[in-house]
Amino acid sequence: MTARPLIACRHCDLLQREVPLPAGGVARCRRCDAELYRSHPYSVERTLALTLAAAVLFAIGNSFPIVGLEVQGVHNASTLVGAVRSLWDQDRVLVASLVFATTLLFPTLELAAMTYLLAPLRGGRVAPGVPQLLRLLQALKPWGMVEVFMLGVLVSLVKLAHLARVEPGVSLWAFGGVMLLLAAAAASFDAREVWARVGVAR
Amino acid sequence: MSRAAEGAARVRLASARELGLVSCQVCALVSRAAPAGAASNCPRCGAGLHARRPASLARTWAFLVAAAILYVPANVLPIMESSSLFGAQRDTILSGIAFLWDSGSWLLAALVFFASVMVPLLKMLSLGLLAATAQLGYARRRHQRARLYRMVEFIGRWSMLDIYVVTMLVALVQLGVFASVTAEAGAAAFGAVVVLTMFAAMAFDPRLTWDAASERHG
Amino acid sequence: MAEPRDPAELPEVPQALAEQPRRASLQLVWLIPIVAALIGGWLAVRAVLERGPVITISFSSAEGLEPGKTKVKYKNVDIGQLTSVALSENRAQVIAAVELTRQAAEFLVEDTRFWIVRPRISAGQVSGLGTLFSGSYIGVDVGKSTKSRRVFDGLDSAPIVSIDLPGRNFDLRAQDLGSLDVGSPVYLRRVQVGQVVAYELEPDGKSVRVKIFVNAAHDRNVNANTRFWKASGFDVALDASGVRVDTQSLATLLFGGVSFETPQEPGTSPAPADKAVFTLFADRDQAMRHPDTSEETYVLAFEESVRGLHPGAPVDFRGVVVGEVTAVLLDTDPATNEVRVPVEVKLYPERLRTRYRRDAVPGEPRHQALVDRLVERGLRAQLRTGSLLTGQLYVALDFFAKAPRAKLDWKRNPVAFPTAPSTIEELQGALTAIARQLEKVPFDALGADLQRSLKQLDATAQTLDRSLASADKVIKRLDTEIAPEARAALAELRRTLAAAERTLGNADRTLGSDAPVQHELRDALREVTRAAESMRALADYLERHPEAILRGRRQETE
Repeated sequence: MTARPLIACRHCDLLQREVPLPAGGVARCRRCDAELYRSHPYSVERTLALTLAAAVLFAIGNSFPIVGLEVQGVHNASTLVGAVRSLWDQDRVLVASLVFATTLLFPTLELAAMTYLLAPLRGGRVAPGVPQLLRLLQALKPWGMVEVFMLGVLVSLVKLAHLARVEPGVSLWAFGGVMLLLAAAAASFDAREVWARVGVAR
Repeated sequence: MSRAAEGAARVRLASARELGLVSCQVCALVSRAAPAGAASNCPRCGAGLHARRPASLARTWAFLVAAAILYVPANVLPIMESSSLFGAQRDTILSGIAFLWDSGSWLLAALVFFASVMVPLLKMLSLGLLAATAQLGYARRRHQRARLYRMVEFIGRWSMLDIYVVTMLVALVQLGVFASVTAEAGAAAFGAVVVLTMFAAMAFDPRLTWDAASERHG
Repeated sequence: MAEPRDPAELPEVPQALAEQPRRASLQLVWLIPIVAALIGGWLAVRAVLERGPVITISFSSAEGLEPGKTKVKYKNVDIGQLTSVALSENRAQVIAAVELTRQAAEFLVEDTRFWIVRPRISAGQVSGLGTLFSGSYIGVDVGKSTKSRRVFDGLDSAPIVSIDLPGRNFDLRAQDLGSLDVGSPVYLRRVQVGQVVAYELEPDGKSVRVKIFVNAAHDRNVNANTRFWKASGFDVALDASGVRVDTQSLATLLFGGVSFETPQEPGTSPAPADKAVFTLFADRDQAMRHPDTSEETYVLAFEESVRGLHPGAPVDFRGVVVGEVTAVLLDTDPATNEVRVPVEVKLYPERLRTRYRRDAVPGEPRHQALVDRLVERGLRAQLRTGSLLTGQLYVALDFFAKAPRAKLDWKRNPVAFPTAPSTIEELQGALTAIARQLEKVPFDALGADLQRSLKQLDATAQTLDRSLASADKVIKRLDTEIAPEARAALAELRRTLAAAERTLGNADRTLGSDAPVQHELRDALREVTRAAESMRALADYLERHPEAILRGRRQETE
């Protein structure tokens, strides 16, 4: 009987053996019920497609204004970069950097890293520098907050709808798409699979 | 269900550390621990191997205390100033929620209240609780504590909501004489609180709650 | 699960690789990024296609311009936006890069003009107030040329006349700008028919050239004979002919204006070319006056004060202005060391037209014979008060029968014209005479005489007193001894009365109607009476013609 790989629970450190999962199934820790790993029925190809789509939409979203405002004939519209710029110009350096990092920098890096990893993977190859990238990906995971940003935009739209005429721009839908696609791509990205290949490739 | 369930009675649940094994935080590979004190790297991914997150409790407390200190100015200082023809008005987080409530957007008011007030408080209290129980070696209610930690991990990012609302308002409401919004110091403080609580959650090693089960951890 | 054993003891079994099956065809999921890419591509293409032309406009200042926000509007429709603002290389101007919509590309011709619309208060107009709230914008006046252009020079303010407004430009030349400004109205019969478009000093600095624009419907009213004058809001003329107040519309009150009128002339002249330059007169009277073609200069020597006489004061013959004073000078006669005040005047003989035609001797430059004849008849120049209010004087030509003879010396240049003293001077002279006569009256002697008479009267009175006392005694004595005492007393009484008579006779002599003192007094009084009479006459006259105070007395034939 070949022993299945060992795994220690991330949350309680209990040593266990991995088990094969049905499609879509979740392995949980015996002791503390934390999620150990998931099965990823989706192929690399799917993940890559989703990632690329998210990347395109992300590019679109940053090229056009998210929302336009009109009061008494005075128009104002802003892209995400423009919003960060406004904050920066108001000397709110910390807040501007925070927003820039969580909504622009980290998602971009995430998308780029995923694309870089997945593309060769589709061809069965493992790209160089994978371990570092995977570490980067894992580090970035909690910091990409596009979905929180979307909710924030919605809340501000509602707040502004009282004062003025609000014109949702193309970017609003684009970012909404990014949010969904990025989540789907992240969900279907099987890091374990990649690690496993890395292990073997070594 | 894992095969371990069949031989549950016979199996002694042991943590990896007890067995001299270390799990890599990055790639989840279980490998043999280095002799005590020596630094070691994961053979697969090269990340540093630590049995428990280094100085977990100390760092958690440090981040928590810092976040708690900054939480006061985050709520007392205004996070944005809106000026119009009729005058300027400074809004703190709470007054912004009150404005939403007064203007009839109860749902949004509740949402922002939850995200900007409840979440940071809950995070800080929860992490404080987790750290304290872990430090004291408290053995009860481990499952609840484990779930608490998972929840803390999940909702942490959502308190950034108010920051993004302020960002959008600042970006859009630049209409010269009519109306303009500027972000104020409270926003920076609040952003710092969110970041610090996230760091605190990342610093805290949840395995510490379970360590008392396996061994006494002082 | 088996007992946890040292993993090193566990045989290392390679993991079975889950190989991805190579598929030649793409999975359906690729539709998503393809669709996303298509949308993105379409948006990009659309943005590029819709991008209109980019032009640069140079302005003198970037005030009110905000890159990314300031719009370009034509007839209040957005046709473009300002993208960037930068200083020119020589730092003298600001270069604004403007991106227009595609439809606006056809506006970009040679004579299209751009300017910045800001709140502005200028002649007769307050404009652009809306920009206080909505921010300045760039206005456009589309030209009619067919040559396209991408680099423009911006104007500082809206052009007064937009290109599509029909009408004609005219040039006027004025002595000074007065209260005119760009945008000041142009009136015909008090109806605004145009505007002042621009003004500039002539290169020689001696006059101002004013360009006006007259709207299409009325520009045919302008021909070579048209007279233009400044219709400044409030014309107050205070001169020898009195006070004159003249107002036009409220706009001219504030900003000045130009009025024109074409006097009816027998035989109309054709419309002038656009380049004709008209003179801009200071007021209507001057404009409508027939132009004087000839003038002659004379000098008048007055021996009285010419205070109140200014250059420009009219030379008037029985109410008709025939010339004007050009200069008031001082001159010291070296021979007699007398200081005289020669006044130079300019006469326009044309104004004596009817006389001129009848008596003119053709070929004679100064019509000397005519003037000589008039001077022989007594034509003299006299200073008269134009207005008692201001004390202004003017020169009046008139016939003076009593004037001393004078002859013009035509060889001197300018010719000296004989003068007559003014009525004031006459009055002064008369009063002086009275004063002198009064001086001659020996008031001291009169006084001494009176005193003596009074003393005598006193003595007489005392005598009377005594007489009465004695009469009293007499009467008493009469009571006792009547006859001889009575007689004696009566005789005494008679004597006393005789003395009194004498004294009275003395007094009578002094104060009698044919006393020399009386004569003197009477003469003096007569003079005073005469002066008073003439004063009364003046008062009467003024009563009948109160305006004479301001206008002066209408000269009656003497």
